[in-house]
Amino acid sequence: MIRPVLVRREVPVRGGQPLAFAVGLLVALLLGAVLLLVAGDSPMEVYRRMLSASFGDLEAFSVTLNRAIPLALAGLAVAIAATMGLWNIGAEGQILFGATTAAGIAQIGEGWSGPVLILAMIVGGSIGGALWALGPAAAKAYIGVNEIITTLMLNEIAVRLIRYLINGPWKDPEGYGFVQAPALPEQSFLPNLFQRTHIGLLIAIAVLAVIGLMVSRSSWGYELRVAGSSGATAAYAGISLKRKILTVLVLSGAVAGLAGGIELTGNATRLTETVSNGYGFAGIIVAALALMRPSGVAAVAVLFGAVQVGGQSIKAIGVSDAVSTVLQALILFGVIAAGVLIVYRIEMAEPKVRST
Amino acid sequence: MKSAEGNKGTKALWRVLALLLVFVMIAAACGDDDGDDGEADDGSTASDDMDDGDMDDMDDDGHDHDDDMDDDGHDHDDDMDDMDDGDMDDMDDMGDMDGDFSAAFLYISPVGEAGWTWAHDQGRLYAEEATGIPTVFVDSIDDTSAADTEAAIRTLVADGHDVIIGTSFGYMDTMEAMADEFPDVVFEHVSGYKANETNFGNTFGKIYQPRYLTGMIAGAATETNQIGYVAAFPIPEVARGINAFTLGAQRVNPDVEVVVQWTSTWFDPAIEGDAADALLEGGADVIAMHQDTTSAGLAAEAAGARWVSYNSDMSEFAPDAYLASAIWNWGPRYAEIISSAADGSYAPGFYWGGYADGIVDIGSIADDVDSDIVAQVQDIRQQMIDGTFAVFSGPLFAQDGTQLLAEGEVMDPGMLLGEAFFVQGVVGDIG
Repeated sequence: MIRPVLVRREVPVRGGQPLAFAVGLLVALLLGAVLLLVAGDSPMEVYRRMLSASFGDLEAFSVTLNRAIPLALAGLAVAIAATMGLWNIGAEGQILFGATTAAGIAQIGEGWSGPVLILAMIVGGSIGGALWALGPAAAKAYIGVNEIITTLMLNEIAVRLIRYLINGPWKDPEGYGFVQAPALPEQSFLPNLFQRTHIGLLIAIAVLAVIGLMVSRSSWGYELRVAGSSGATAAYAGISLKRKILTVLVLSGAVAGLAGGIELTGNATRLTETVSNGYGFAGIIVAALALMRPSGVAAVAVLFGAVQVGGQSIKAIGVSDAVSTVLQALILFGVIAAGVLIVYRIEMAEPKVRST
Repeated sequence: MKSAEGNKGTKALWRVLALLLVFVMIAAACGDDDGDDGEADDGSTASDDMDDGDMDDMDDDGHDHDDDMDDDGHDHDDDMDDMDDGDMDDMDDMGDMDGDFSAAFLYISPVGEAGWTWAHDQGRLYAEEATGIPTVFVDSIDDTSAADTEAAIRTLVADGHDVIIGTSFGYMDTMEAMADEFPDVVFEHVSGYKANETNFGNTFGKIYQPRYLTGMIAGAATETNQIGYVAAFPIPEVARGINAFTLGAQRVNPDVEVVVQWTSTWFDPAIEGDAADALLEGGADVIAMHQDTTSAGLAAEAAGARWVSYNSDMSEFAPDAYLASAIWNWGPRYAEIISSAADGSYAPGFYWGGYADGIVDIGSIADDVDSDIVAQVQDIRQQMIDGTFAVFSGPLFAQDGTQLLAEGEVMDPGMLLGEAFFVQGVVGDIG
């Protein structure tokens, strides 16, 4: 019996991820067209709509960028950890706790001036995210507890913490009994840079650039990559693995928490348990498609921001939510699969005989 | 007034795919371990090269981007001016009722076959028919995500819709802000507590009136004199419903008790089914509920008990258990909002319609309900339509026995809207 196997290419296909995106997207759109035809929608109209709602004009693009900001930061958080071979599956929870911390600061600083309050909330969000990652980081560094499990579980705890706060100590006294957090003070709203893109864009670009440089150029980043490829080599070179694990995961959490602070000040009107909007999980896909490189994260985040905005927009022209979801799934699958084929090739192999 | 559950589909997709990806990559990494060490080295070399390239790209992008932004920023201001002019023209046209006028609805969940969103969609279809003004809807918009809500509204405004009706509580803040930003669009929010002076109003209805009637039917049906109430959140709207239901039940059966079980959900079939089961095991033989699923009804059906549904007539989902339902009839109100917005006479405010306005009613009544009870229900229903019957009137006693209203007194609207207490006969704590 001949069966297909994935074999790692000696050299990845030229063009790399951009090519994978183009091919994956094309295949997904073709498959999506079939789906849309079956569902009774016009593929051309739907695709034109997705494009115009995400990139059509400056206003549309500003909404896409607005969404790309948390996606990029969440992707960066995952990518930093992955540079050292660690999986931060808890960006979602770190975003939530970062936002929770920022919301707490907003309650204390209700009377502060806008810039002071915003700065405190964003920095506080980052610290909150770092704290939320500290537990898994310490457990991994000192007792070797698998960080995938701990970071993932803390997501659920963050959701429930917010639920508790909103139902109890933080329940809005002016909410007529409705279960919600108090409204954020108006001066805490992040100003817009242009249209609906807020100044979180500049923060995100700066953080991406600084961390990207740190990972690729600094000795700290070099040690990180050495430790990521081989723990033994790192130990031989005198790199403290424990400290590295601790700092990397905490930094990863801080970046995710920053996204939480920015999202709360930039888009929310009050703290909710969905202020993270799934960005923490989407960030994993963003990071993976960017091959865990901080530098690629920005481009993938913009693309996914567009997929999310475009996917939602087609519901207004009568495409059902289910079809919109499947369409997004096709695009994600297409791009991910094409990304795999850039690095691997499919070979027909006979199981018992080893070629080479 | 529903939960975030509606939009789980799309977000669950991203979540599942992310975890799947982690799985695959870990599996792939394990496979690599079998290979020689050289592979890892190759990998890091490749990544070095790529990093260099990409970082440069990043810088370039950054600069390009700034440039774009400046340019576009100016263009945009121009656009905005044009837009405003355009909209003003539209406003003039609005009086002419030209074909361009349209309304859009924002739903928390898919329309489905019954329940909260289905009832709103029936209202939308009615309004479209009655006014001749086209409508669209966008479903499954998470109302706890301001980002999603805002993106959806911006799309609808950009599409040129002139009226936007949001049918879930959590849309409130975002709609308020959008109403500020788009003064030429009418925003109507259902079930909240905010409005402005010009283009942002609020609509809700006195669903407690039909709840009183369903309480009468349930009170007559119970043999154990214990009715279970699967309650959503301890907010005035829910408490009002429980109280009205209890008063209705007591009208025909003075010995009846209504046992409340909170779920802290608007839409969670499992939790609501469990709550109904717990009430049934505790001795209740009729179940009432406030949430948007049929699971309480299915639990009653399975236990051979009876059930009162809410939002829409759900008789087909548990035909043996079904007794009656308190239902919404949004159509006439939606037609009013849309046509008044179209002819320029729209005035925002806090609309709280009742039986007299036709926004609430009872659904079908089960065949086996005693005809004498049905006659009494029809009689009170007519009095509610005529405005001669007040559900909350004296003598009225609170759960702990304190008198709330003296004989002949009728509850004032302020007390009614802020109802954060239970009446005598309700078993359970509020909050």
